Amino acid sequence: MSLRRKKRLRRFFGHSALHVFFIVLCAVTLIPILYALSVSLNAENSLLSSDFRFIPKHFTLENYKEVFTKQAVMLWFKNSAILAVSTVMISLGAAIPAAYVFSRKQFAGRRAILEILLLLYSFPSVLSMFAIYKLISPMGLVNTRIGLILIYTGTMAVFGLWNMKGYFDTIPIEVEEAAAIDGASNFQLVTKIVLPLAKPSIIVTAIMILIYVWNEYLFAITFMTGAENYTLAAGLYSLQATEMSGSWPVFAAASLVVSLPILIIFFAVQRHMTSGLTAGGVKG
Amino acid sequence: MKKRRKETLWAYLTSAPSLILILLIVVFPILYTGYISFTNMNVYHWFDFSFIGTENYKRALFVFDSGFLGALLATILWTIVNMVLQLVIAFVLASLLNIQNFKFRRVYKTLLMFPWAMPGYVSILLWKTGMFNSQFGLLNQWMEKLGLEAQRWLATDVSAFICCTVVNLWLALPFMIMIVDGALQSVDKSCYENAILDGANWVQRTIYLTIPSIKPIIAPSVIITVFTTFKQFDVIYLLTQQVGAKTGSNLHTILTYAYENAFVTNNYGYSSAVSIIIFVMLIAFSLLTRKRLREGE
Repeated sequence: MSLRRKKRLRRFFGHSALHVFFIVLCAVTLIPILYALSVSLNAENSLLSSDFRFIPKHFTLENYKEVFTKQAVMLWFKNSAILAVSTVMISLGAAIPAAYVFSRKQFAGRRAILEILLLLYSFPSVLSMFAIYKLISPMGLVNTRIGLILIYTGTMAVFGLWNMKGYFDTIPIEVEEAAAIDGASNFQLVTKIVLPLAKPSIIVTAIMILIYVWNEYLFAITFMTGAENYTLAAGLYSLQATEMSGSWPVFAAASLVVSLPILIIFFAVQRHMTSGLTAGGVKG
Repeated sequence: MKKRRKETLWAYLTSAPSLILILLIVVFPILYTGYISFTNMNVYHWFDFSFIGTENYKRALFVFDSGFLGALLATILWTIVNMVLQLVIAFVLASLLNIQNFKFRRVYKTLLMFPWAMPGYVSILLWKTGMFNSQFGLLNQWMEKLGLEAQRWLATDVSAFICCTVVNLWLALPFMIMIVDGALQSVDKSCYENAILDGANWVQRTIYLTIPSIKPIIAPSVIITVFTTFKQFDVIYLLTQQVGAKTGSNLHTILTYAYENAFVTNNYGYSSAVSIIIFVMLIAFSLLTRKRLREGE
């Protein structure tokens, strides 16, 4: 009896110490985000004074108001949304049929292409930037949305193809054969059987592409000039580039506004993230 | 035979949009970079560049002062330091989270996932302005409170390396914790009971039981992380060397080095040669690891 009690007591203290540890750890981890939140809500511009506190004495939404009214944030939001939606649509439109064919049909060059794509994919896109500039500049696509959409869809094409091909591989072909025997046409087979079955993978792929476009800043600042053409990422980058203590609270507010949609999407799909990604996997 | 050919044609037609996009944005830049790497294209020879053979490659690989070898060493050191810290910390935290009957672990896990969920560049910029800024950054406010002198955190190579590592760990750990956590949960619990009965202590159980059983599960994710760490650009670039806002440190990884040579000093030929060298290394590494992974299966 006393041994059990002793054990229980030990566990209680052990777990309490563990809770303290994790609470501190979480707090430390979240400091950069919480600090930005507190700065963005602080009415006194007390940045340079030493009595900074995490919970501001006087709340204000002034910085958020400035983000939405004085800065071109709404315009950047529109640009980002247009780019993201078009990139996702075009990427899926191109990748789904390709992934299906590469998963289901046997044809000359199939294996070779898949292997080569995987190797080429390791070329960092930062290093392609100069060559891509040389490519799209004569086409007159510098500083246009079409140019950026082309770059983004191309960059994500290998990922889309491989990821969804991997998922198609896990769907047993018997399902399709059965439907074909039941008299389904090729078109019906794809729209009624294959696409609904592949939905998790399509959603995850779409979200990954969406997040990529939303967060891409380097191509956006290199290929777009003029604040009216900026995406959210490029705009935010330009906001912090003018590093002054006065603009930091506005930048902090803008950062959190930009991150919010991504945070929501991330936590909404987190559970499916691993299955939709790893089911495809890197394995051929 | 005829049917086979028809099927092939149909397959290529169906995947044409995807393959054309890849040709334009992935394949063409690599070929073009390879071509430019043998020329002297730079800001003075934008159109009238000429072939100079393997001059650029020689300069990168055999002239130490050119900076490439230094950047390569820094990148290797960066990758090793980051991967070791990441694996050790992730393993410890995931093990603690998996202690039996530990309550609220899901809450902690969710909170610890935040750095992963935030857009990467936003986090890096928040770290730069919010934490490291020499005037109003939080670190210097704390230094002042402790009566210490304010620091310019990103001004020297060593402190910039440490700051970049901290930010990179902050960004990358959530993913690693999740992977190790998932692997730990898949380990058969009955093995542990036997080991405990046999009198194995925690260290023995970790070395002989836990690590061997999670190794094959986490291997693919670890390899992917090695690649992303080796290819890390955003953390170093955004923290220390944004165009027009350099912080004074001269820390370069091979990627920021190639970027600077192309877009700051406009040595396109030389930068292309560096890019191709990086590409060859990445391909060699990925072929090697894929072979190892397959054998391990």
